[in-house]
Amino acid sequence: MTDLEDIDQRLARLGRKTEALRPSAGFSARVMSAVTAEAAPSLLENAWFSSRRLVPVAAIAAALSVVWAVQVDRSVDDELATSYASVELE
Amino acid sequence: MDTLEKAVDRVLSGDSAAFQQIVDATSVRLVRLGARIMGNQADAEDVVQEAYVKAFRALKAGEFDRRSSTATWLYRIVVNGAIDAKRSRTRRAEQSDLQIDPSWDGAAFAEARLALSELDDWLAMLPTDQRAVLVLQSVEGLNNTEIARVMGVSEGAVEQRLVRARAALRQRRQLP
Repeated sequence: MTDLEDIDQRLARLGRKTEALRPSAGFSARVMSAVTAEAAPSLLENAWFSSRRLVPVAAIAAALSVVWAVQVDRSVDDELATSYASVELE
Repeated sequence: MDTLEKAVDRVLSGDSAAFQQIVDATSVRLVRLGARIMGNQADAEDVVQEAYVKAFRALKAGEFDRRSSTATWLYRIVVNGAIDAKRSRTRRAEQSDLQIDPSWDGAAFAEARLALSELDDWLAMLPTDQRAVLVLQSVEGLNNTEIARVMGVSEGAVEQRLVRARAALRQRRQLP
């Protein structure tokens, strides 16, 4: 630094001179390769995303199972009631 | 809305390939910023690449709230990454055989790397956060409000770091 050159002047000069800095050749491709690797889901994520599609089907199946179980329970109760009534009649 | 913000919209809507446009629009400026803070282009490229991966991850996770512009947000990620890397990493030897794009002016690029080396030697004595603030203001041309936003500190803290950095450089100048 010359005696007359102020800190800000020197920084401005070095700033101007470093304006020509550029990423090295292939930098953009290396970045996109790293980003693509990041974007590719892992095996676990794949399993999770695949299984997520089955959630609505599983929910409907569960609801139908509950309905079926309630209906079966009611018919059993009706049959028991009928059998008790027939025993009483006898 | 500019190209950068449109590219962000496309990434947010699931088009990962649109991230290439973000890289194309910002990589020159970010690598130059990283180099000025790190003092070394090879390290700067590592930092900027990591910053892009972090940015992509944040976009995919919906963590970018867009309270600042995309450019300011990327600036912040690079500055923070450069400060962390400079504090923790062993400096990599500058690659003398760095491959440059044939379309660029080789002489200007070589001169720029000499200037970068001079900048690095001169600022080497400063703590990394003071160096970053000085580079952002006097080399990148940001004002104190913008620096505070980029670094996530108050304007008072920016001013304090600038005063300390300049005092340290003046003191060094007065040494025999």
